[in-house]
Amino acid sequence: MTKKVFNLIVLFFLLVTFSSCGSSGSVQPVETESYDIMGTIIIQKVYGKNAGKAADEAVKELKKIEGMMTINAPGGDINRLNESAGNGTWNTIDEKTMYVLKKAKEFSQLSGGAFDVTVGPLVKAWGINTENERIPSKDEVDNLLKLVDYDDILINGKSARLARSRQIADLGGIAKGYAGDAVIEVYKSYGIESALVSLGGNVVALGNKPDGTQWKVGVRNPRSDEGQYIGILNVTGKAVVSSGDYERFFERNGVRYHHILDPKTGYPADSGLIGTTIVADLSVDADALSTATFVLGLEKGLKLIESIKGVEAVFVTKDKKVYTTKGLKDSFIFDDESGEYEYVKKG
Amino acid sequence: MLKKGDVILVALILTAIILGVAGTRIMGAIDRSDSLVAVIKQGDRVIRRINLEKVGNAERIVVSGDYRDTILVEKGRIRFEDADCPDHVCVRTGWLSEKGDTAVCIPNRTMIKITGEKSKVDIVTD
Repeated sequence: MTKKVFNLIVLFFLLVTFSSCGSSGSVQPVETESYDIMGTIIIQKVYGKNAGKAADEAVKELKKIEGMMTINAPGGDINRLNESAGNGTWNTIDEKTMYVLKKAKEFSQLSGGAFDVTVGPLVKAWGINTENERIPSKDEVDNLLKLVDYDDILINGKSARLARSRQIADLGGIAKGYAGDAVIEVYKSYGIESALVSLGGNVVALGNKPDGTQWKVGVRNPRSDEGQYIGILNVTGKAVVSSGDYERFFERNGVRYHHILDPKTGYPADSGLIGTTIVADLSVDADALSTATFVLGLEKGLKLIESIKGVEAVFVTKDKKVYTTKGLKDSFIFDDESGEYEYVKKG
Repeated sequence: MLKKGDVILVALILTAIILGVAGTRIMGAIDRSDSLVAVIKQGDRVIRRINLEKVGNAERIVVSGDYRDTILVEKGRIRFEDADCPDHVCVRTGWLSEKGDTAVCIPNRTMIKITGEKSKVDIVTD
């Protein structure tokens, strides 16, 4: 009798010991935070045997992408493309940049021009978050608008050119998205099965957490400090990308001039949305679509997202109402820390 | 007609529901409050992440590199205790105990910063 009790006690302690070993307590990720790549904060959380090497390699890959795709990198693909605008020269473009250019054109078409990387001349004129930020005159805006047309990005095999002089392709709304996918590919090549990367708030998850539960990604509250959220998305191996008028902006006479320009008007988009969040398999798609839907507004935005398979969205309107697409019915948990928002449409 | 027993039963159930809801709310509020976390970094790499509210016994952490920093952690606070770098700016910074507090040892590329971390999410989009 006493022996039985003793055995039971031993068994109990063994179980407790094993179960605590199996839980997440013992798994430590490799974590990095970089402030000097792509003009933003890059956070990595990588689990697994080769996590350290994978994280280092990811940083190298990001620097390579930055050199090719940012507008200011001398000799980079996009820099050469813009420098030669209108002079007829075909520029040999790296296949990665070419992939992003093609994606950009694809989403321009899909969104009816609400997303357009040739909006570059206007981005430059407004200079939002640069030392040259200003409100350009209506004449100037109208003039520059004539240069905006994604059909003027001409592609021929491995080469590309811009049709007219003074045109500027600006991959700001999509390159970071592509970079997120590239990082996930680096992780996979090192056999990593569980990781999270954030490129300035563009979040991409690989697999699940090491304990097998889903990643919990907070959806940013567009009217609060960084880090505050209005809801939680439970995801497995998805990209979650937000756009909003809170990311980069300046204010004059009480008006907020933010960085997402409407390629049709040349002015900061004023569609009634203050934040859009896209969930997709590829972060390049999520990045382009978060911008496109921000410009399109609630109704057209919902319609566009519902028309694309495997892509979902959370939209926040100016009057602090939250809308989601049908597919997020179970994975989006409305959890507003501020208590100011109202969850209106649950799919 | 309700019997006396029924009234008591209904009252009991209602009390239980109210207590339950209030309890969940309060627990929720506690759960969502940020916890004070000290992040120790060297270069880009996060070396340790310590919930300062959960520190039991004081702990010393040595960060080696070009130089050698010794970090002391106690409940609710953290500091560079000692360093063999030339300038000792990090040690002179003293204790860090509030969200946003930062101390840096530039020669050894070591940084301690205190952040408020949310327990309910892994990351927030921006």
